Amino acid sequence: MKKIPKSTWLKIRKKHFFPPLPFPKIEKGQEKAALEIKNKQISIDEDFLSQISEKMPESDAIEALLDHATAHYTFCPWDFANYLRLYAEAKKVCNDKDMAKKSTDYFMDVVVDTYCVKEKQSTIPSLYKHMEKGKIDQVICALYQKIWGKDLNVSGSDELVKKLMRLPYINKKRWTEVIKRFTHILRPLLEEEMLKSASNPLGDHKSMFSKESIDKGLMELAQSAASPKAFSELVDDFKEELEETGYLGQGIGRGRGQETMANILYYIKLAQNYTLPLKKLPERKSGSIYPHSHSPWEIERPYYDIDIWTSFGKFLPGLTQVWNRKEGEILYLEEKVPNCLIIIDSSGSMIDPRKNLSYAVLGAACACEAYLKYGSEIAVYNFSDAEVGGRYLLPFTKDRMAIYQSLCKYFGGGTYLKSSDIKAFEGNDMDIFLITDMKISNFSEVVNYFNDIKNRVTAVHIGKSTHSKRFALSVSKKTNISLYHVEKKEDIPKIVLGKVKEYLHQMF
Amino acid sequence: MKNLFSEFKNFRPKRREIPLDNIITSKEKVMQTLIKSYNKLVEQEAKELVWLVSYHSVIRAYASAEKSIKNMEYGVEDIEEFLFEIEDSSKLPYPIMGLSGIYTAALCNHAKEREIVFDLRNRNITLHLLGYRLPEGKKLLVYGDLGDFTGIGLNGGEIWVEGNTGNWTGAGMKRGKMVIKKNVGRRTGEDMVGGEIYVEGKILGIGNIRYGRVYEKGEIVSL
Repeated sequence: MKKIPKSTWLKIRKKHFFPPLPFPKIEKGQEKAALEIKNKQISIDEDFLSQISEKMPESDAIEALLDHATAHYTFCPWDFANYLRLYAEAKKVCNDKDMAKKSTDYFMDVVVDTYCVKEKQSTIPSLYKHMEKGKIDQVICALYQKIWGKDLNVSGSDELVKKLMRLPYINKKRWTEVIKRFTHILRPLLEEEMLKSASNPLGDHKSMFSKESIDKGLMELAQSAASPKAFSELVDDFKEELEETGYLGQGIGRGRGQETMANILYYIKLAQNYTLPLKKLPERKSGSIYPHSHSPWEIERPYYDIDIWTSFGKFLPGLTQVWNRKEGEILYLEEKVPNCLIIIDSSGSMIDPRKNLSYAVLGAACACEAYLKYGSEIAVYNFSDAEVGGRYLLPFTKDRMAIYQSLCKYFGGGTYLKSSDIKAFEGNDMDIFLITDMKISNFSEVVNYFNDIKNRVTAVHIGKSTHSKRFALSVSKKTNISLYHVEKKEDIPKIVLGKVKEYLHQMF
Repeated sequence: MKNLFSEFKNFRPKRREIPLDNIITSKEKVMQTLIKSYNKLVEQEAKELVWLVSYHSVIRAYASAEKSIKNMEYGVEDIEEFLFEIEDSSKLPYPIMGLSGIYTAALCNHAKEREIVFDLRNRNITLHLLGYRLPEGKKLLVYGDLGDFTGIGLNGGEIWVEGNTGNWTGAGMKRGKMVIKKNVGRRTGEDMVGGEIYVEGKILGIGNIRYGRVYEKGEIVSL
């Protein structure tokens, strides 16, 4: 089996400023594609290399392919978040996921090839000159001829090329706008190619991202998505790719990318953007001393503490500096964070988390992330009209998926909180996190229950109502209950974050 | 103390240029001129506070548009690009669709090319007044839908719309031909004095037609 010379890879790495990529391979049988990039591993197809080396020097072909693949990591798309952004724009134009993926692939190829030719003195033009081309490749090569000023032995498609050559491919800031125009221009050809199921000769880019990159990309997507629905639609489009990289298997567990799973993923990723830090931990003296600050040396003080660097080599009282030493401090964790019971209202007056961003679910999710981070367990009591079965109880667990599934459940209907259900969780040393609009039909019973318990409670209620005022009045003397009143639902994530932080501090 | 980096003071990294750089620079230049003159037109017309399509306002705006694009060098690709800019609207402070339609109509009427093709499918843009005064010898082919007042005052040109058009389609047209593959709105052909309108879909309502012909699914509907 052929191997890539070390010197070639070193040359490529140097050209691209030493990207952290593993040594590329030459492998056999890669489904028509000359190049395969899987989780940062670049593989060149041996058969393709043998074929192309009849027309051009093999070293040039390897260099061109490696330039192309490396630039995908160093320039476009750079990461999964960028790839998703580009894909989302392309999909706006063609309304078809496969076509949008193809268009994104072609666009990224044009960007990296042009970047390599302009910035990296690449042998890519020679590769395109000798490579077999499909219909879209012909157009793209004709475009390259115009924008690179190199002869690639292609002709025709003048009308399309005239439009394509006006796009600023290397301007990163304009990619989202440019890919829309690119897709718009290529759309008739893409539609044709979809019917023939032709493939990109340089391979697609669906498996090139690592799990970490996907993780980060989804977090960014959750923040920028207009609604959980928009997020789940995009995630659904990449179901196969995410499964292939093992992301769905590991991250979601069950359901294999069903819409509800994508919804849960949305709240997980969004909450992870708001992960709560614990502030300072208590300090304890370490017993050892270390140089801390300077003071002028006096004649009776020992000379071994003199700092010769700040004394300018002089040995004079008043001018010469000595080190003052101070006892060091170390940090240690004394107490553990208790478990938490999240009581969440999913009655009809609350937002359905599957349709719109539910700040109640997001707030609960943020609290959940904070507790899980410190190794605590979470139990969930999701209720609407609990008396007639509108409730879900999850026992204490660290299973993030199970917790989120319980939080995202939506019952609708009336609001009845059964205190006996909460009592089932008692016996644990636990915090209680209640999030509701307080429009609870057995309100007095709930108030009495919270007045009786000694657990620390963070209660978040949405909107102004007589119930919330009554609740605030009745628990005002309870030091273990921190109450939040929010005017706008949008305030919930911020307030929950701040409160939980404060709350967790109290124990130290 | 000697600055160790002083030797690099005059160092400039070598910039490799490819033809794309020149293409983009010249294109950007044309686009800036188009946007500047469009903004000027909008500023003039925005004095009216609310810009309403009326006989006089259309004539006045078109005259201003014609004046501002006089001696300007541009091509069909530039007009297409301009439509993308309107769609993004981040570079255009006042995206008034009536004015952008008039401005685009003026650009089309004075373009060098005889045939102009716009693909407006799946685009977030509704162009009104496109095809205004399109002169003889010019053909405008549009894929997608157009807004109200399409082809008003048509002056011998030919308009093919592979989609729907809004109300007042072909109003006041003098000569020429319009073919609409789908449906048109109300007041179609109002005050038209010549020419032909072929609608392959449904016509929601016919206007007062003086002369000229309107066809719906192959049958004449104007009296």
